[in-house]
Amino acid sequence: MNYTSQELNAIVLDSFEKITYKVKQEITENFRFSVPRKKYEGFLIKTLGEGVYNKVREQFFSEEYRRQVVSSLEKLRITCVTYFSENYPENFRNIPAPPLVLYCRGNADLLKRRAFAIVGSRHTLPKVLKDTAEISSRLAEKFVIVTGTADGGDTAAAEGAVASGNLIFFAAQGLGYRYPASNARLYRRAEEKGLVISEQRPNVRASGYLFPVRNRLIAALADGVLIVSAGEKSGAAITAEYAFEYGKDVFCFPYSVGVPSGVGCNRLIKKGAYLTENILDISEAYGLDFTPRVRPVLTEREKEVLSSIQSRGEAHVSQVAADVGCNAFELLAELSSLEVKGLIIRLGGNRYAAADQ
Amino acid sequence: MLSRVMSFALRGLEGVPVEVETDINKGLVAYDLVGLPDAAVKESKERVRSAIKNSALRFPVSKITINLAPADIKKEGSHYDLPIAVSILKASDQLPSDTEGVVFLGELALDGTLRAVTGMLPMLISAKARGFTKFIVPYPNANEASFIEGASVYALRSLKEVVAFLSGEGTFQPVEHRSYDSVVRARKYDCDLCFVKGQRIAKRALEIAAAGGHNILLVGPPGTGKTMLARCLPTIMPDMTFEEALEVTKIHSVSGELSEEGIVTLRPFRTPHHTATTVSLCGGGANVRPGEISKAHNGVLFLDELPEYSRSALESLRQPLEDGQITVTRAGGAATFPADFMLCASMNPCPCGNYGSAELVCTCTPAQIKRYRSKISGPLLDRIDLQVEVDSVKYDDLISDGAEETSAQVKARVEAARAVQRERFAEDGIRCNASMGERQLKKYCRLSRECEQVLRSAFENLHLSVRARSRIIKVARTIADLDYSSEIQPRHILEAASYRSLDGDML
Repeated sequence: MNYTSQELNAIVLDSFEKITYKVKQEITENFRFSVPRKKYEGFLIKTLGEGVYNKVREQFFSEEYRRQVVSSLEKLRITCVTYFSENYPENFRNIPAPPLVLYCRGNADLLKRRAFAIVGSRHTLPKVLKDTAEISSRLAEKFVIVTGTADGGDTAAAEGAVASGNLIFFAAQGLGYRYPASNARLYRRAEEKGLVISEQRPNVRASGYLFPVRNRLIAALADGVLIVSAGEKSGAAITAEYAFEYGKDVFCFPYSVGVPSGVGCNRLIKKGAYLTENILDISEAYGLDFTPRVRPVLTEREKEVLSSIQSRGEAHVSQVAADVGCNAFELLAELSSLEVKGLIIRLGGNRYAAADQ
Repeated sequence: MLSRVMSFALRGLEGVPVEVETDINKGLVAYDLVGLPDAAVKESKERVRSAIKNSALRFPVSKITINLAPADIKKEGSHYDLPIAVSILKASDQLPSDTEGVVFLGELALDGTLRAVTGMLPMLISAKARGFTKFIVPYPNANEASFIEGASVYALRSLKEVVAFLSGEGTFQPVEHRSYDSVVRARKYDCDLCFVKGQRIAKRALEIAAAGGHNILLVGPPGTGKTMLARCLPTIMPDMTFEEALEVTKIHSVSGELSEEGIVTLRPFRTPHHTATTVSLCGGGANVRPGEISKAHNGVLFLDELPEYSRSALESLRQPLEDGQITVTRAGGAATFPADFMLCASMNPCPCGNYGSAELVCTCTPAQIKRYRSKISGPLLDRIDLQVEVDSVKYDDLISDGAEETSAQVKARVEAARAVQRERFAEDGIRCNASMGERQLKKYCRLSRECEQVLRSAFENLHLSVRARSRIIKVARTIADLDYSSEIQPRHILEAASYRSLDGDML
């Protein structure tokens, strides 16, 4: 990988633990164009203070240290996109404290594409998870889907988009770690087909404060954010707050009163987020056209079952059986078939819901 | 003087002949018992002495040597009391008669009364197979012994009666032979499927499980009647044949769990607690004894709260589930016990129990649920063909019109489906669809092109694991059998695919 000298300066600077966000911001402000070494030195002394500068100076200007930094990143299959790189997303240039270096694994060109974020809390209802995956796979036809790496809503969004490859999987920790471990497989698939990205050096472990920091970038990168679930205190709600701040569109699934995983969503709607029931609410906002999915052929019995579930929204098998007028277990074949055709969703406990079209 | 009397020892479920030899000599008064006796056998000395004295007989005051031959088998249990007493009486010339070919089994009370012993039936069966036809056993064991055909078993109440019988005084009748059928007809299960309201899908799954011999997992929130449903499983399984009943009785006899009736006629239903160890499940001990899985032979092993069992205990079930038997090897020797049971397990859908509930909110994260479910390993799950969800109680109200089927009605359909399978597998040496291997799957479960298509799209859209394939086909075969259909049809495949609550995508 060939980096320009500015890129290299940024990467090497970012490799020092002492570099704070404030320093990074000053770098991005002052060094859009290459500057003589003297000026660089003067700047570093000013921003880092003499003590710190003396500690890192030798390394910063050492050719060997630079090679070492680059090769250790290459060993981890990480490429860097810096503030000075061509494919640095414009959206990041417009926020306070833009990331100096983005560590990427996968297809870094996705950063240049139009992005849409889908995030949700770890506590998300099963039906919402499936709806999320569905809507994410549809939106991935037009956008690159950006989401976090957490369990629940984020994972569902990533699962929906990963097959198309239009996925930016935004990690809070450094790429040397895969957190949470339960998503290791998803990480690998995202690296292979999409892009896994982090603002942190590869050796930074996951820790609580990093998540809001990462969430600001998800909100910044995307043109719009869909919050599929958010509890009273939820990272997804923080992402939404950033999105409001950055002037992005915020979309929210509505919830009924008293659902703990939806309290934050309803609050955001009150604040002005778009109430979003299905993909049409999003496509209208962007003037997009989603090709309607082909309607599968159904038998008479299947139609009856489907209309029963659709009229109820959510139904237990014995309720459907009462509607159709037969024994519950006699419907299992029809239910399986409708599920295979993607028209209904299995909720557990022998309950089914109509899938949103 | 020397005397010889026959008795039997137990090795696993096999009886081994033991000869009790007594030699009475002049010399210092002594009582030596040799031939690897355990503590219970050694203590027989005091029981035998008191019993002989209290039966108005004389305990010889001289040097008594008793040998239990063959001398290299460990002798356990209390049933050597009677043969030792008889042998002493013979050696001391108090019993002139010939005891050649008579097998003695029994524990003595201090007053000479004969008490019941465990393992009676397996010892009698082994003894009969070795050509012994005359037995003297304690009266309380009479019922157990009454199923042995072609042997004269005398069930006597006390040592006095034994002496009288051997001396030809009084008249004693051998235990009357009872036919198995008469007992079977009289028995009754405590529970019945008609007592369970609603749960139509779970009931259907139980029917399929019983019809095809499939193992089944019930998934549902706490307090929804999973245990109640599981208890009904034996009531819809076909009746045991006499041979099957004898196998079960042998195991229960060895474990000392046999009821008054003397034979097990109902399919056993075992519910070991989730703290059960591998040894208590599989069997073990210095003198190897059967574990819970063998006690559930020909019946149902019910594991409530499956993920709570220790991993090693669950993994130990895999081999017996495949082979239908278990060989337990200990320092004291190896024993093979039959363990052809149907596994019925239950678990909550998630750690908090509310996953899939309409009113209650599940507070578990997907990772927690995944972790909870992953406590059951893939290989074990592979052997559980049906995973069915049990409804929370609310839905009972919907179908309160009272038209619940009885176990007998379901059983009739199960037996019909079993008959079809018996015919199909006549040459294959297996009994039911669940035991089909790859070869039989190819031979008997040819899928039409339409079925293949349905199955393929089910796999793609429901994200089923590859392992689920043969499970679904086997269950579809059973559903087709219940449907009197010789071909597997797409709707059978689809129904089979719906019994997979743990499989497939769980985001």
